[in-house]
Formats: sequence, C-alpha cells, structure tokens
Amino acid sequence: MKSSALRLIIPVVVTCIVAAAGLAATYTITQPLIIAQEKAAEEEALKSVLPDADAFEAVDAATLAEAAGVAGDSKVAAVYHARDESGESIGWGIKVGSRGYSGYVEMVWGLDRDGKVTDLTILKMTETPGLGTRIKTEPGFLEQYRVLPGGFAEKDLKELDMISGATKSSRAVRDSGMAVSAVYEKVLKAAGEVR
Amino acid sequence: MMKEWLRVFKAGLSIDNPLTVLMIGLCATLAVSSQVEGSLFMGFAVIFVLGMSNALIAALRKVIPSQVRIPIFIVIIASFVTVVDLFMKAFFPPIYAVLGIWIPLIVVNCIILGRAEAFAYHNTVWLSIADGLGMGAGFSLVLVGLAFIREFFGAGKIEFMGATVLRMPEGYAAPTILMMFPGAFILFGFVVAIVRALSNRSTARKAA
Repeated sequence: MKSSALRLIIPVVVTCIVAAAGLAATYTITQPLIIAQEKAAEEEALKSVLPDADAFEAVDAATLAEAAGVAGDSKVAAVYHARDESGESIGWGIKVGSRGYSGYVEMVWGLDRDGKVTDLTILKMTETPGLGTRIKTEPGFLEQYRVLPGGFAEKDLKELDMISGATKSSRAVRDSGMAVSAVYEKVLKAAGEVR
Repeated sequence: MMKEWLRVFKAGLSIDNPLTVLMIGLCATLAVSSQVEGSLFMGFAVIFVLGMSNALIAALRKVIPSQVRIPIFIVIIASFVTVVDLFMKAFFPPIYAVLGIWIPLIVVNCIILGRAEAFAYHNTVWLSIADGLGMGAGFSLVLVGLAFIREFFGAGKIEFMGATVLRMPEGYAAPTILMMFPGAFILFGFVVAIVRALSNRSTARKAA
C-alpha cells in the first residue's frame, strides 16, 4: 500500500512531467519561427532607417564590446556597417535599448558617415499602451530626432521636446540618442575609414 | 443537458460576470483596457486558457488529491498560458508587441485559478467548458467595452490593425487621466454602478 505522502507527490510529479513535455514540444515548434520573426523585424528596421543601403554587416566583437562600453546605461545590442550597391560604406545601423517606464525600449538608429541621423525606429517596447507608446505614434516626436545635425551631442538632445504624460518613455528615446552619439563619437568616428 | 450548458455559459456573461459582479482579474483589466485591439486579443487568449484549463481540470478532478490541487492547477494553467505566449510570439508578433507582459501574467489572473477552484474541480468537463467560455466571454465583453471608452475618449481615436477606425473631431482635447490607471479605476467604478442599477431594476420588475 502506498504511503499518504506518495499519494500526494505522484500526481504533482506526473502533472509536471506531462506539462514539461507539452511545453518542450511547443517550444521546439515555435522557437525557429520566433527567431525568424525577430530577425525579419530587425532587418526591416535596418532597411527602413538606411534605405540606400544594400548590405548590412555586423561589426566585429571587439568593436561591439567597445560600443557597449561607451553607451552608459543603454544597451548596444548590435552595430551594423551599411554599404550601398557598389560596396561603398554609407553609414551604420545601431540597435540600442534604453530603460523606459516599463522595461527597455529597443530602437534602431541609422547614421550616415558624418554621424547624422538618417532615420530611427522603435523595434520593441513594453510601454503603457496608448500612453508610453505615443513615443512611436505622436506626430513630430520622432521627427525631431531625424533632423539632428551630424555629430549631435547631449546638449542637442536635451533641447528636444518630451511628450507630457510619457516623460519616462520619451526619456528612453533621448537616452538611446545619447548612447548612439557616444558610440559614433568615441568608437565609429575614432576608427576612421577602417570600420 | 444543452439547456444546463447554456445556463452556465450565460451566467459568466451576466449574473456571475467575473469583472462587474465577482470583481476578479481587475489588475490585468485596468492595464490592458487602454486599447481596443489589445483587449480583443487579450480576451481571446483568456477564453482559450480558461476553456482549456477548466476542461482539463474537470477531466482530472477525480485523480487530483485535494491537498495538492492548487499547485497542480497552477502548473496546468501556466502551461496553457505559455503555449499561448509562444504561439502569439511566433505567429502574431504585432499583437504580442501590444500585449507584452500581460500574456504571461494571465497565469496569475484570479479568474482562471478562481474558476478552476470554484467550478471545474466540482463539475463535469462539459459544464466546465461552458463555464470557461462564458466567464472568458464575459471578461472579454467588459474589457473591450472599457477599452472602447478609454481609447475613444482618452486618446481621441480608435485604432485597429494599424488603421484609424473612429476619430474625435479636430480640436478635441483628450483627458489623459482616462489612459492611466486611476482613470481606468474610476471609470470601472461607474461601469459597475450602471450594471448594478440595471440589474436591480430588472429584479425589482420581476418581483413586482
């Protein structure tokens, strides 16, 4: 006869094993799709910020580590070197995440050779729907970043407008701008034509 | 049998509505109800999880020892939620981007554990499915209703699948409070008051 403890333990263990098997199966099916979706979203974002580019190549690990080192609290996830059809270097695509109101706002910034913003887009965010998400939908908000001068710095960014009621979310965009500016000034530009 | 099924299903929509009557699952409701689109998909996700978990728990109710029922319920619920989470991420990334953290948080939505405990553990699979679908639909109905009011008056427009479906006239100054939690809470209070007033009136009429 089974002891009473076993009578309780066995159903819990069996439930967990069955659940784990079911989840493993679901994960195996969906994971490649999820990765493909994320990659496609990232590529699309890169193309949208650097429409003239034909190919994007990730910079080497040392450069990326260096870029991550100068970004402060923001996280530089990837830096791509953009080339046009003739193989000429035309700028960089930088994927950067900055802390917003809830979690990180992941953005992709495009820079030309002079460090001027070609365009920027929000890749992923978990800001409050309808409130923090206005950083994406508010007319004129992201546009002001698009007209920043080449080699813009912290003081240029601090002059830009925030969205009232979504200050922390707006600040995430500004912070990622500071990270991008630092990456350009201290890493990409310093390296000259090589990188 | 069909009659009983419909009675249980309708209870979730009306007299036992999880939001306006039982008042459970409010946290996610206040958070998600700022957009109609997100609310709609949240509703579908909750209906699916509630229906599946109710059905499975009812099927296993005779073999689940009552001392360890809660951990087993949670494992079952969490598994279905993770399935929804992964599928949404894989097949509907734009919607996942809207709902974000709220999908995994369905696990701790008290409606689901509450119905497992209060209904599915004591009833047949057939009726538990009715309860799950009815409760889920009742939740979704109120959620989408709240979202409509909040988005239309708080943001001045309704957006669905990237298109603006309804828009306030030019010059409308949207009160931001509606988009924030306190506004949602106050609005929810009014909705509950209206539902109560209507149901009181209908019981009074029946009694008369």
